[in-house]
Amino acid sequence: MLPACVAMVPFGVVCGVGAAAAGANFIGAMGMSTIIFSGAAQILASQLLATGAPVAVVILTCSVLGLRFLMYSAAMAPVLQPLPRRWSGALAFLLTDQAFAAAIRKFDAHGDARRAALHYTGGGMALWCFWQATNAAGFLAGNVIPAAWSLEFAVPLCFLALLAPAMRSVPHVFAAVVAGVAVLALDALPMRLNLVIAGVLGILGGIAIELAGERWKAR
Amino acid sequence: MEGALKLWTVIVAVGLLNYFSRMSFIAFFARRSVPPLLARALRYVPAAMLSALIVPMIVAVPAGGGGSGPRVAAALVAGAVAWATGSTLKTLGAGMAALWLLQWSTQG
Repeated sequence: MLPACVAMVPFGVVCGVGAAAAGANFIGAMGMSTIIFSGAAQILASQLLATGAPVAVVILTCSVLGLRFLMYSAAMAPVLQPLPRRWSGALAFLLTDQAFAAAIRKFDAHGDARRAALHYTGGGMALWCFWQATNAAGFLAGNVIPAAWSLEFAVPLCFLALLAPAMRSVPHVFAAVVAGVAVLALDALPMRLNLVIAGVLGILGGIAIELAGERWKAR
Repeated sequence: MEGALKLWTVIVAVGLLNYFSRMSFIAFFARRSVPPLLARALRYVPAAMLSALIVPMIVAVPAGGGGSGPRVAAALVAGAVAWATGSTLKTLGAGMAALWLLQWSTQG
């Protein structure tokens, strides 16, 4: 999990800078990083609030983006099974793209739920602490970072590292391509609604190709 | 609505909804199996949502001027590294290095 923490540094800093740019004070910025605890949602919320989007739209967009946690939660349920119920409910708070990716990799490699659960718990807590520190640093020191460094490019790169292993089958690739094309094609829509619609279209595209493949095999 | 109130409404609502999504199968539905149609849809959520999130960030024309060409090229390099290594750190390193190299070579 340590490499994931190090890779989070520029991402957290960019999030802190974004919160400052959206006009949040320090408490508000730290509220986002401690409570929402999702870089993607924080960046989107900051951008949308900065452009004056209605609160309902910000909540809707961030929540649709958060639907991927449902999938992670379903996949993590067997991993966290050995832990007491009270624990696993609380530990669910630490579920992020990075913690999920690292824990599942451990689980797939060893098939040992206990070991993966401990790895997830320790790594998840470390990530949470790292996240607060880097967000605070970004908020406080953001304007001294030269624009020529293009630090904000670290954000899509962090997600790219998660997207690549998700390309497991033809339907998965199709879902990503449909979503990517749709988000650009619908760019004219206001308030980043293109993101929500493109995500849904991508999911439908993946399902359609999967069903078509099953029908083809059944013939 | 005032700025701070707006921000905190978003923090609390998104925080709660995200926590509900994170808890869902781990805590609430742990004893139940996932309905097949939902399982089918969930499988494609990360691929679709991550792609919809990433593509505009890469294609967007940077605030500092210049075209999106270097970013698209750097993202392709990073994507290949991500696919081959599965390492976040290597992906980040390769992508940033490629971008800096391309920016430097087109400026200088």
